Amino acid sequence: MRIMESIHMKRDRFLFLIPMVGIFVFWEATSRIFLEGGNVPPPSEVVATLFCCLSEPSFLVIVLRTFLNLSTGIILALLIAVPVALATGLREKTDNVVTPLIMLAGSLPDLALIPLFAHFLGPGDAVAILMSSICAFFPIYFTVRGGVKAIPIEYFHVSRIFGKDRVDTFMKMILPAISPYIISGLRISFDFVWEIVLAIEIFAGVSGIGSFINRMMSTEFPKMEYALAGIMVIGCIAVTADRLLFGYLESKIRRWA
Amino acid sequence: MTVQMEVIDVSKEFAGCDGDLPALRDVSFDLRDREFVSIVGPSGCGKSTLLRLLAGLDKPSSGCVKFHGEIMSKPVHKVSMVFQNFALYPWRTVLENVELGLEAYKLSKEQREKIAMELIEAVGLRGHERRYPKQLSGGMKQRVGIARALAVNPSVILMDEAFSSVDEFTAQMLRGEMAEIYDDTEKTFVLVTHSLPEAIELADRIIVMSARPGKVKKIISVGLKRPRDPEDSNFIRIHQDVFKLLEEELENSIVRHHLSKMDELQRLVDLEKHV
Repeated sequence: MRIMESIHMKRDRFLFLIPMVGIFVFWEATSRIFLEGGNVPPPSEVVATLFCCLSEPSFLVIVLRTFLNLSTGIILALLIAVPVALATGLREKTDNVVTPLIMLAGSLPDLALIPLFAHFLGPGDAVAILMSSICAFFPIYFTVRGGVKAIPIEYFHVSRIFGKDRVDTFMKMILPAISPYIISGLRISFDFVWEIVLAIEIFAGVSGIGSFINRMMSTEFPKMEYALAGIMVIGCIAVTADRLLFGYLESKIRRWA
Repeated sequence: MTVQMEVIDVSKEFAGCDGDLPALRDVSFDLRDREFVSIVGPSGCGKSTLLRLLAGLDKPSSGCVKFHGEIMSKPVHKVSMVFQNFALYPWRTVLENVELGLEAYKLSKEQREKIAMELIEAVGLRGHERRYPKQLSGGMKQRVGIARALAVNPSVILMDEAFSSVDEFTAQMLRGEMAEIYDDTEKTFVLVTHSLPEAIELADRIIVMSARPGKVKKIISVGLKRPRDPEDSNFIRIHQDVFKLLEEELENSIVRHHLSKMDELQRLVDLEKHV
């Protein structure tokens, strides 16, 4: 019984493949039948290009560069957002001073900052990292702050009654209590940050998968199969990270939450 | 030692929007060795505030709380607590929750586990030690809470409405087990409750509090043989006595409430006249 159930569950996890294959078939058919000789390459061609690209070390370096810029940005944002969220979540007074400022900063459109930072920092990795950490900061900050505020007051009482000092209270109580919020904050920011990193690469000319796509499309004869292959790579990374990393973290949390 | 804790002229005010709100006024009593004390009173009389002071979680505005003759300014490891809403850490298993207080001592992992397992056994949760709180019923959660409080071998155990978050049948079972634990251990218990039968069933002395600001209205010695029968005529008599005291308080507070409302009304009428 158990074994059957787990087989069913495993099978259910791959159910998304059915509509996905459907979409690819539809795409293949339309581009071959209706758009013959047109601009949109069929997926078979795109996938072929994709494999061709992936065997190219310079392409892999480009992909890796985008991914590293984005991850560094998120980690920086995490390192800043969590302590600030702890300070504001635990103390009403600090919250009243700091959070309105953060809300104000967060309401600025991130894209508008690109030309400014690009001007000061030049078209390098620094601007990509800085922008992605700014972009990742807000979702992490607000979810973690909510998480800190949601800790029941009794947990603090328990911590004190059972002899925990400040460090232990943080390590053994606050950190596990907010861990689900940290994970969902990371997840949300991971989605946001892709947009901003690609935008920076395109507008500020930072090397990476975004500028690769842009370059492929802004020639006299656009190489759309390369652009689409680039987009597919992004999709694959996003899905893999989501499934593997966040899926793993969430399954750890789900044991108790 | 005959006296475990002393509460001496304790008052507590909380900062409110319009001045300080008095929660407790001139509360004095002591907790003796191996004694079960229940604190009852109308809602909002500061029972839970009092318990927090006894735990050292909060400081009195004036007066002091002493544990073994020394003024408490923070929680001490010999005073432990059971919470109304259990307050178990959901990310810890039953075993890890019970071990929580033991981590402050210099014990090996094996020693901690051994002590915790003994207490898990004592509260009847053997076989559940690897489960998480979300997989337990309310009654089981409170057993974990009790085991966690006992694990540090405290001399005083404070219980804040410990049996009011579970169904009545479970509460009855827990009370019975609590009475047994009380008989088996050399500890002092303090139970804040709004249930008079619960207070009379368990307590040697009942501290009846007056309405806000909370004062000690009367301390009643129960003096019935254990286990106690709620049908017993003496039990019923004590119940009636305490009930009468609380009824007075309730009426007082209602009358006071009305009077203050009338004052307010009069003030508004006067104000209108002036305008």
